[in-house]
Amino acid sequence: MRTVLNISGLTKVFGKIKAVTDLNLSIHEGMVYGILGPNGSGKTTTLGMILDVVAPTNGSYSWFENEDPVAARKKIGAILETPCFYPYLTAVQNLKITAHIKECSELRIDDVLKKVGLYERRNDSFKGYSLGMKQRLSIGAALLADPPILILDEPTNGLDPQGIAEIRTLIREIAAQGKTIIMASHLLDEVQKVCTDFCILRNGIKLHEGTVAEILGDTNELELAAADMAQLGKLLSETSEIESYSIEGEMYKVILKPNHTSEDINKLCFEKGIILKKLVTKRKSLEQEFLKILKEK
Amino acid sequence: MIKAIKLEWLKIRNYKTFWVLLGMYFLALTIICFGGMFFLEYLKSEGAEFEGIDPTMLPIYDFPDIWQNMTYLGSFLRILLAFIVIITVNNDQIYNTLRQNIIDGVSKGEYLTSKLLFVVILAMISTLFVFIAGLINGALYSHVWGLEFLFDGTIFLFAYFYDIVIFCSLAFLLSLLFKKSGFVIVLLFLYSMMFEPILGVIIEHAVFLQDTIFQPMVNFLPVKALNNLITVPFPRYIFREITDYLPLGSFAIASAWLAFYLSAILLILKRRDLK
Repeated sequence: MRTVLNISGLTKVFGKIKAVTDLNLSIHEGMVYGILGPNGSGKTTTLGMILDVVAPTNGSYSWFENEDPVAARKKIGAILETPCFYPYLTAVQNLKITAHIKECSELRIDDVLKKVGLYERRNDSFKGYSLGMKQRLSIGAALLADPPILILDEPTNGLDPQGIAEIRTLIREIAAQGKTIIMASHLLDEVQKVCTDFCILRNGIKLHEGTVAEILGDTNELELAAADMAQLGKLLSETSEIESYSIEGEMYKVILKPNHTSEDINKLCFEKGIILKKLVTKRKSLEQEFLKILKEK
Repeated sequence: MIKAIKLEWLKIRNYKTFWVLLGMYFLALTIICFGGMFFLEYLKSEGAEFEGIDPTMLPIYDFPDIWQNMTYLGSFLRILLAFIVIITVNNDQIYNTLRQNIIDGVSKGEYLTSKLLFVVILAMISTLFVFIAGLINGALYSHVWGLEFLFDGTIFLFAYFYDIVIFCSLAFLLSLLFKKSGFVIVLLFLYSMMFEPILGVIIEHAVFLQDTIFQPMVNFLPVKALNNLITVPFPRYIFREITDYLPLGSFAIASAWLAFYLSAILLILKRRDLK
């Protein structure tokens, strides 16, 4: 797969603060790449450097295997932090500027505004927009040139739950078209739901990098429930495959010993004539893994 | 180049503040360009006279003197154009659209070019306005008329244009340095109209600086360097000698300032983190 972005040794120092330290990343075509980290971990600074608005102290980056950075930026739809538009211009007038810079057709403006739900308000000036509308306009601007790469910095910031769901659906739709998306977020849940690959930054240092799938395997934790809970409890107390169990409300929480799965328990119950009405293997969540990684390092 | 011009045009086309300021500028320029004879009439009515001559007899609109007279007066208004430049540069900073322009694919050099061309076009329109006003006034009042006279002294139109471009480049640089537009407007106004002129007078006339190397240095001050492009023409009406040409030295010093302003702007754009 083609490399769209290669970052090597990127470092940024603001006075005494090292915002980003010796960052190396390589992002390939088709990835939905999440840069995950708490506030102030260097996510926006990193994006700022690869977009040429923050001058790196050290290190380098290259787009599309050494394309000229200015030409490359025309093929990238990007938003950094807050939406930036001329408040005295309307949505359409603002997007005309974007289209002019990106050298793309103005004909897509209406489509894009419909897509982000601003078509009805297209001739109102930007200063009257709510935060959510401003955020949606910036996503519209990023989509305008139909770019092969999108860079989104906290894309759901300031949106209401419905807006968040819409934007996430939109991101997945765009990713399904084979586009590359680079997304910075402090929302673990967001990265888990949308991204294929991710890295974790803390204090400007990359702590972890990998795919979302490999980190989200099954855990050894089960949730069980049956019509006759007492009988199930008795069985659990006698079973050797179980590390520990506890009752939580209407179900048992069970920790399995290594090399055992939910299948073993299901079979056991079936043999003893207990019909389970609930059998769930808990999956790992990025949140737990994130906290684990932060603790380890 | 067309692309750089269009970028700026899209930003100001629907910007009311810009059009109002530009309108006021041209109103002021109209008054300055066409008010000369009315002013002399007023002086006459007040009983003023110059060495025994009726003020309205002064040939201020005669070719070729008309060009120096009008461009000298018109160049006082360059500060209004500088205000427009300050406001548009400032907008790009407070709205963070400079950053967004660059993210979207404008290089820092292109950004400088688009603002500079904006300044050049403003200066060209203003120069054209003064040229046409000069032709009209000349037709009305000049004692000589004919193609051979019209273009004599039009070097001052070029000096007028150059003066605006350099002064507005200074305004561009200042508004990048100090992000508050109100502050930059007051600073530029006081510096160019008061602080530097007073400093200039001190350097030129202070006893302890007489015959030192500091005295000629006054011509290197940024505003004085521009003022030297078109020197005061009016003492000629009381038969004093004036500089009625564009001195090469003044042109060179002013050009050096222009080169400095543009390089400083580019350096700031390249080095600054746009957060």
